[in-house]
Amino acid sequence: MVDWALATKIAGAGFGIVFLVLIILAMVLCGVSRLIQSLRRGKEGQAQQPRGK
Amino acid sequence: MGPLIGGGFISFFTGGPFPGSYVVAFLIGCFFVYMGIVKKWEPLLLVPIGFCMIVVNLFPPLFHAQLYIESPTEGTVTVVNVHPIKGEVLEIEKEQLLLKIREPDGGIVEIKAPTSGELAKEDLLVKVGDQVYPRDQLLKLENVSILQSGAEGTELFSRIFQGGILTEIIPLLIFLGLGALTDFGPLLANPKTLILGAAAQFGVYFVFFMALLCGFDIKEACSIGIIGGADGPTTVYLTAKLAPHLLAATAPAAYSYMAMVPLIQPPVIRALTSKKERAIYMKPQLREVSARERILFPLIAAVVIIWLVPRAAPLIGALMFGNLLRECGVTERLSRTAGEAFIDILTIFLGMAIGGSMTAENFLRPQTVMVFGLGIIAFATATAFGVLIAKVMNLFLKEKINPMIGAAGVSAVPMSARVVQVMGQKANPRNFLLMHAMGPNVAGVIGTMVAAGTFLRFVG
Repeated sequence: MVDWALATKIAGAGFGIVFLVLIILAMVLCGVSRLIQSLRRGKEGQAQQPRGK
Repeated sequence: MGPLIGGGFISFFTGGPFPGSYVVAFLIGCFFVYMGIVKKWEPLLLVPIGFCMIVVNLFPPLFHAQLYIESPTEGTVTVVNVHPIKGEVLEIEKEQLLLKIREPDGGIVEIKAPTSGELAKEDLLVKVGDQVYPRDQLLKLENVSILQSGAEGTELFSRIFQGGILTEIIPLLIFLGLGALTDFGPLLANPKTLILGAAAQFGVYFVFFMALLCGFDIKEACSIGIIGGADGPTTVYLTAKLAPHLLAATAPAAYSYMAMVPLIQPPVIRALTSKKERAIYMKPQLREVSARERILFPLIAAVVIIWLVPRAAPLIGALMFGNLLRECGVTERLSRTAGEAFIDILTIFLGMAIGGSMTAENFLRPQTVMVFGLGIIAFATATAFGVLIAKVMNLFLKEKINPMIGAAGVSAVPMSARVVQVMGQKANPRNFLLMHAMGPNVAGVIGTMVAAGTFLRFVG
């Protein structure tokens, strides 16, 4: 006898979790990528600035 | 002449679950070898699987295991209910009464066979009147299922199966090698493709329900559903954990369908997209991903996924460990070994374990046909949902994506990305979609691992 309540929970929550986890991962990766790029730009900017008197 | 053409030759034609069953399984093994060598369908796996299937059906004892039945109590053996004759083996049925032990307080303990098997005279280790103590060996059953608790593999294939598959070591270590081979650059250049990798997991859950409707129990349904992830090692890992008796069906289904991606996916993609959609142009150049991002990715992915889905830890941990070896730049030797010799050795063992388990008894069952049928539905629905979600994404994106890359969300790396590339060029010769499709493709690998983790979370 199949426990349909459990099966629905597995499928519903499972698919939801897969989506959620991968969306969170995508957001974290975007954030890290932007952070790295802005740090790099900051460094490049510093390097291009003329030295002070 | 007796031993030369004796039992083995005759039982090949008459033995097994039905007369001629070993011959049928032998021919299926030949078919796998043919498809691997001639059609180049996943040859690295189908050739070892097919050949070992041929060998094990010529000589099924290669997958045999034995089981010692021990005394659960102290007492005297009062009845021995089985009487094998010297030189012959006695067929023992599951739950058959084997012997009785009288305890010091007068209580009688019945010892029944926990599984079916064979008993030879020399394997009966006690006789009436013997005094026994807890954990004393009473008798040894031969030719029992390797899946029976306490059974011990005694032959080539059963030993590899027990040591490598039932312990889950081989599929997990294969992920280490795959991590060392996988370039996550396209995914890092375009992280939104992770959504397509998630979408394609719909096929996993859809077929999970279908398997339940076909009469499989929940654990079996999870093992069948995961075929839709198009990820062989994850299928083997999850099935070994939840329904190892189905491995002889789910593993070859997963690997043979991965090989059949170029046949399964194009009609589904064509049915769900217009010619105009298939021709949507995507710039061939992806953003350049820095070395720092590549190094941070395995660490970040491992932390995020293991925090959110702890049961996916062994899978994602092995994959990301292998990827860190590849990307960190200081473990080139380890990375090269993991991605070449190490994964090759494991692949040989995996092929031997799976092929060696595919005896007529294990493989030629109605369940196998159903698993193969459900597997193809899993692949098709995963492809369809990936494409549909890509179309939905296009409603919100300024720069449209070619919806075909959603089909690559079923992992099957790099086969499904290649299918998208070929179809993309047919629709628009200017299009070069391979790297765009690789993003959802590797995202699909991660998505399937997370799906396996959710199954284990609920029923593991």
